Amino acid sequence: MKKFWRKLVKNKLFFLTFVFFFTTLSAQEKSIDQNQIFKNLRCLVCQGQSISDSNSDFAQTVKLVVNDLIEEGKTEEEIYSFMAEKYGDWIIYRPQLNKQNFMLWFLPYAFLIGGGLIIFYLIRKKREKA
Amino acid sequence: MLSNLGNILLFSKVLLSLTIIYFSYQCIKSSSVIIFKKIYQISLLQSTLVLGCFFTLIAAYVVSDFSLINVYQNSHTAKPLLYKISGTWGNHEGSLLLWIIILTIFSFLFLIYNNKHPKNYRLYTLIIQNVLILGFLFFILFNSNPFLSLSPIPKEGLGLNPILQDPALAIHPPLLYLGFVGSSIYFSAAIASLITNYSEKSFAFSIKNWVLISWGFQTLGILVGSIWAYYELGWGGFWFWDPVENASLLPWFAMTALFHSLLVLEKRNLLYFWVIILCLITFTLSVTGTFLVRSGILNSVHTFASDPSRGIYILSFLSIMIFGSLFLLLNKYRKENKLIYSNSKETFVLINNWFMMFYLLTVLVGTLYPIFTDALTNNKISVGPPFYNTVILPVVVIFLFFMAIGPKAKWIKNRFDNLGCFALFLFLALVVNFFIIYFFKSFTILSNLVIISSLFLIFSSFFDLVNSILKSRFDLARTISHLSFGFLVLFIGLNHNFSIEKDFNMRVGEVKSFDNYEIQLQNLELKTYNNYKAIIGNLKIKNYVLKEERTLNPEIRIYDNPQTLTYEAAIKTNFIKDYYLTMSNIDRSEFYNIKFQKKPLMIWIWISVAMLVFGGFLRIFKNAKIN
Repeated sequence: MKKFWRKLVKNKLFFLTFVFFFTTLSAQEKSIDQNQIFKNLRCLVCQGQSISDSNSDFAQTVKLVVNDLIEEGKTEEEIYSFMAEKYGDWIIYRPQLNKQNFMLWFLPYAFLIGGGLIIFYLIRKKREKA
Repeated sequence: MLSNLGNILLFSKVLLSLTIIYFSYQCIKSSSVIIFKKIYQISLLQSTLVLGCFFTLIAAYVVSDFSLINVYQNSHTAKPLLYKISGTWGNHEGSLLLWIIILTIFSFLFLIYNNKHPKNYRLYTLIIQNVLILGFLFFILFNSNPFLSLSPIPKEGLGLNPILQDPALAIHPPLLYLGFVGSSIYFSAAIASLITNYSEKSFAFSIKNWVLISWGFQTLGILVGSIWAYYELGWGGFWFWDPVENASLLPWFAMTALFHSLLVLEKRNLLYFWVIILCLITFTLSVTGTFLVRSGILNSVHTFASDPSRGIYILSFLSIMIFGSLFLLLNKYRKENKLIYSNSKETFVLINNWFMMFYLLTVLVGTLYPIFTDALTNNKISVGPPFYNTVILPVVVIFLFFMAIGPKAKWIKNRFDNLGCFALFLFLALVVNFFIIYFFKSFTILSNLVIISSLFLIFSSFFDLVNSILKSRFDLARTISHLSFGFLVLFIGLNHNFSIEKDFNMRVGEVKSFDNYEIQLQNLELKTYNNYKAIIGNLKIKNYVLKEERTLNPEIRIYDNPQTLTYEAAIKTNFIKDYYLTMSNIDRSEFYNIKFQKKPLMIWIWISVAMLVFGGFLRIFKNAKIN
């Protein structure tokens, strides 16, 4: 009986991975939209608001500029670099991965891996003793 | 007059705290087995006085006594009564008074409800708690006294910021403080436990309800704040990863980790020092959050009360707290040697803590990093929603799987049943996900993984729910909370995926259409109210597919005291979706900027959080029954 279950589980898992990859491949990624970019830019004259959420003159201007840049065929990253150069890094909500921000992006994963190692160590050590 | 009364009450509270500390110390020294009766009496008196003090301030607000600087700066005679009262804690000084109330009352309740625990442990808790009370009292007296008087007495106050005049925001601070400050009691208890070497399972028992209570209120506070942000700020979102929101989230992660670890301490007498560390960091994070907000270091929507001198005081207080408790901890630390099997429930609780710490540290790093870059390189950066989404979301997917599997593990044993069930749940989750992709044509790898994992958790918790009802072994609290958390993540994912956002510049009478919708700005109305004027837009939205028509009325409000312009969103809520409409004027033109948003399943996000809290409170009632 146990064997039967194990077999069933194995087969099911196989089938599931198949279904999953099928769904992954059959669907298509959305193209970039301007709203996404507006959301990632800070309205410099407001309190903690994005360009997308704000109605200020500043936000309206930036929206026009971004639209122009999209029409010029610039990529999302290029638009952010353009904005950062003009207004400083403060304007981008998603900090760029560079020397200065390296620790910001690196530390969380370091914690994640470190924590995992601690737990692994705790459990394994205890098992050896037993 | 009220100013004098308030100051007298504040001073007498200092004296009472000192007396309690003195008598507690005497009582510890003495050979008495029970706690002196007078300690109870003074504690009760202290709680009564602190309430008296608070009511004095409320009274000053209600009668608009502008001889108090605090009332003058934050109130106005034309304000509705509710907001006069809520204005009491809507500012820095008043909210600190609320801190003291919660510190004092929790201290008193902890003293009387834990009468089965050792005398010295309870007394040390009382002493530490009173030291905290003194710390905050001195802060109030020397830096942020709400009872400072003003002369000559002004005729009229400056008024309260209109976006704070709101029922949700009236109850948001008290709820949140019950969580923030409620965590002080297990901070004190943890230190008392270290001092008295009271480290058994019963220690876990003495604090677990307090952890759950503070967790429940913290969650509710965050929920109410989030709802407020949703309808009042007019941005259509409910979470912005704003530094202050992060500050409320940090202790939440610590509390969540804490009450899971407490289970292990209670059942297996393991992880004692880890539990102590969590107790200590929860309150420390709460005070840190306050420090960051009140000192004005962080740029945020909440900077309603910032002043560097406050920062220095809180920072010194915080340093003493951290170094003191760290010193004690290192002094008392000893190794634990007990068995943890890799597939046991203990392991899964550890995994929960692992993820909670990851979230906590990520949010902490994200919140503090801009301060460091600013100080070190003079380059200000923003760490916003895209950062948190990128770093945290993939981890949440794995976390949800563990959250589903964990509760099915057994204590101590290294064994798992029901592997077949998990395969079935995964299969169901994938099928549902497939249908979502197929029918709604929306797909990104990450968001669909989030949907799959949350569905997996939902199915698995639902199975537990049915199972526990059938076997009449009601562990409802945990099941409900885990189930609601699954739903919460699912609804947030769906809401994020299927939101629609459009904005237009329109003139009166104009019609715009897009997708399946048509929107018309029919007319504008001008109305005058008690303390503001409003321009009310009349907009009609037609949905061709569903053949429904809705009228929404967003407003532009012009408040008199203080003179401010606010934009009121118009929201039509039902169980499937919210329509969310904001309107703003464009200077020097006859156009209005109209922003339309469709937010699917919005209400279910709130309901999920409410159910999550319900699970927590259910556990408290159960614990109380067992007692």
